[in-house]
Amino acid sequence: MTLELKDVSHVYAPGTPFEVEALRGVSLVVEPGEVLGIVGGTGSGKSTLVKHMNLLLTPTIGEVLVDGVDARSLKKSELRRRVGLVFQFPESALFAPTVEEDVAFAPRQLGLHEDEARERVRESLRVLGAEELATRAPFTLSGGEKRRVAIAGVLAMKPEVLILDEPTAGLDPATRQDLLALILGLREAGISVVLVSHDLDEVAEVADRVSALHEGRVRAAGTPAEVFYREPAQAPATVQVVSLLKGSRPEIGAPVRFKETLETLRALRGV
Amino acid sequence: MENPGEGTRPGGSFAVSCENVSFSYPGSERPALSEVSFGLRPGEYVGVVGPNGGGKSTLVRLLNGLLRPDSGHIRVSDRDPATEPFEVRKRLGVLFQNPDNGLVAPFVEDDVAFGLENLGVARHEMQGRVARAIRAVGLEGYERREPDTLSGGEKQRVALAGILATEPEILVLDEPTSMLDTAGRREVLRYLKALRPEKTVLHVTHHLEELTGADRILVLNGGDLIADETPERFLSDADLLRENRLVLPVVPRLALELGLPPTRLSTPEELAEAILARAESGTRT
Repeated sequence: MTLELKDVSHVYAPGTPFEVEALRGVSLVVEPGEVLGIVGGTGSGKSTLVKHMNLLLTPTIGEVLVDGVDARSLKKSELRRRVGLVFQFPESALFAPTVEEDVAFAPRQLGLHEDEARERVRESLRVLGAEELATRAPFTLSGGEKRRVAIAGVLAMKPEVLILDEPTAGLDPATRQDLLALILGLREAGISVVLVSHDLDEVAEVADRVSALHEGRVRAAGTPAEVFYREPAQAPATVQVVSLLKGSRPEIGAPVRFKETLETLRALRGV
Repeated sequence: MENPGEGTRPGGSFAVSCENVSFSYPGSERPALSEVSFGLRPGEYVGVVGPNGGGKSTLVRLLNGLLRPDSGHIRVSDRDPATEPFEVRKRLGVLFQNPDNGLVAPFVEDDVAFGLENLGVARHEMQGRVARAIRAVGLEGYERREPDTLSGGEKQRVALAGILATEPEILVLDEPTSMLDTAGRREVLRYLKALRPEKTVLHVTHHLEELTGADRILVLNGGDLIADETPERFLSDADLLRENRLVLPVVPRLALELGLPPTRLSTPEELAEAILARAESGTRT
């Protein structure tokens, strides 16, 4: 699926004293099978933006297109199955007595045969490395385990685009890395991933392209190198280090990921 | 390490001490904390790290008397938080992760004063304390701003000022930057560093780069105190890091891979400088 936002603006509480223009003329495309990173400071409009991708919010101006077709012409239930959205701190919405019941909730709403629903639950839990949690009660799980179960619930819908809003906030570093590996695995399986994060280091590791938001506008968009080297002061640590060296070592390239950066630094003369 | 807490046995000279503290949540099979012992000397800055579910949040709740230990003893400024929670909270302030949950008043200065009103501090003294606290977090000129209009980093600084105004001896920072973007995190850390050495600080975090300057780092995993180490030893112990689901941040990890000392290089500027210095000296390690 190609998901496109065209010149989208969003105004909260229009016509009231509390009116806020949260998005201003935002355009972007999520290509099939890519990881799109959405970065920006607190209040830059990231969460408002992704809620437009499955029409939880409708644009005040502009449009959302699914394979070139106006998303409003699609059935909402169908759109939300194909574009799965995992909110911030999704574990707060776990409610069923066991993990497998929780993950099964959404596929059952699709009217799937019970065997098919169970198979999807098993598969989603397996992808997230959470099979052994199936019969546990959600409230007995740790923060990282709950987060994985909540993501499995959305994955069980077999979305074509998976949107993760700050999926690693509050998780320990190793669990964060597991989630990044999962994102790359989903991409391998042909699922597009939209990763919203304020952690530039993690976006640097997985994104194919990046859109940087500032005060509701797209301030920069392109490959991670194009976006991050434009403003190295607000870039991942790898880009900051390399940018600082460029003054005396103009021959140095523009690596972004950790491994590329390490190779670049090792290749520097005399280092 | 073989004997966690050795050399920091509870005694009269500690701002905070825990002796064989255990706690289980009702209905849970495994203890959230078991037999945890450590002490914080006045003016120490000590980090607490460990995986999700390791016991960090439970420890914070025990220290300010929200929970009572099943066994063992806790002393905070020579008081027991289980029996004197209000006295303890005058001396130990907690900064939580999400500043949005804590800000209540219409203006910044009222928010900073809120805790003082609850302590019954006289009005003329209150004004001085609020002004000092606002200065300590660099928010002069923000007194009449509405908290809703502030950035995440600014809100967290307001929350910190509210705690500083109550003049606690001890500060517990519970993942104080986890909801902030990179700019907000740097900004808050700058003011947290300035708390030393006047306050005793216990700083809970998932971000190891925040603790490179700490006096010690405690590791809680599965309810056990696994280690009590200096940052230098801890950050260079790859096994200890891996076993506790910790990953070195990008800058020290690059330093380590390049054969440079990871604990003294926590910012991109420091690493870039070290790389250039080595290139110029022409030595290869």
